[in-house]
Amino acid sequence: MKTAKPNNRRNFLLAASLGTAGAAAGLTVARKPVEKAEGSTTDAQPSGYHASEHILKYYKTTEV
Amino acid sequence: MSVAEAARVAVHRALPPEETARADFYALIARLLHSPPDNALLANVASAPALPADGDARLATAWQRLVDASSAMDADAAAEEYELLFGGVGKARVSIYAGFYAAAASEHPRVRLQTDMAALGLARPDQVTEPEDHFAALFDVMRILVAGGAGRSPATLAEQRRFYAGYVEPSAARFLAAVGSAPEANYYRHVAALAAAFTALESESFQLD
Repeated sequence: MKTAKPNNRRNFLLAASLGTAGAAAGLTVARKPVEKAEGSTTDAQPSGYHASEHILKYYKTTEV
Repeated sequence: MSVAEAARVAVHRALPPEETARADFYALIARLLHSPPDNALLANVASAPALPADGDARLATAWQRLVDASSAMDADAAAEEYELLFGGVGKARVSIYAGFYAAAASEHPRVRLQTDMAALGLARPDQVTEPEDHFAALFDVMRILVAGGAGRSPATLAEQRRFYAGYVEPSAARFLAAVGSAPEANYYRHVAALAAAFTALESESFQLD
């Protein structure tokens, strides 16, 4: 029997495996947390999201 | 504690895992579109775990192919490919600017984009010369709207939806298809496939409440 497609956004994202996909995608940008770069706010986020050195360099060029 | 001190105490709530994942995908795609991967990033992607098989098949397949490609790629080859695809003003094989793919309008989308970014508390820093409609910038704005950053909290879902529908959705599919079909694309064919799978999920999820 085919499972009905979720009609709730969160359930839809979870069913698409985005609840666990962060463990894969997140590792690529967060495997080596570094000290907070000057002027960067990225490592102060409460979300559990961290930035690695190369992504911090990128953020420094794009953030306000 | 004074009232003034109390007012400075911020209450931070952890993002749900699916929102963290969205931010991570936006961050990774933005990074790969901003500049070619260095060896450290290639190694990180190459050793990343597979996505669950019971989730979105298109995303899981695209992810695994990028993981596999990352293990076979080196930074020099990636840099050469990036330059061939996106480098050189007026000579790029594929335009990396959303305005190129926008339908004819009375004003260039960049003008509207600057205004809308300002309303979200975001702007291009003075030292950045790339226009705001660079796809790396658009994906990074989405990353900030999802996870917070650049001095602001995560945006509401309505704000995220509005920015995505206004600037990412109208042009990303054509851009990613152009990358995927470019003869010069090798590693970036897989980047484009991952981004296309992810944005397809985003487009569908934004239709839901």
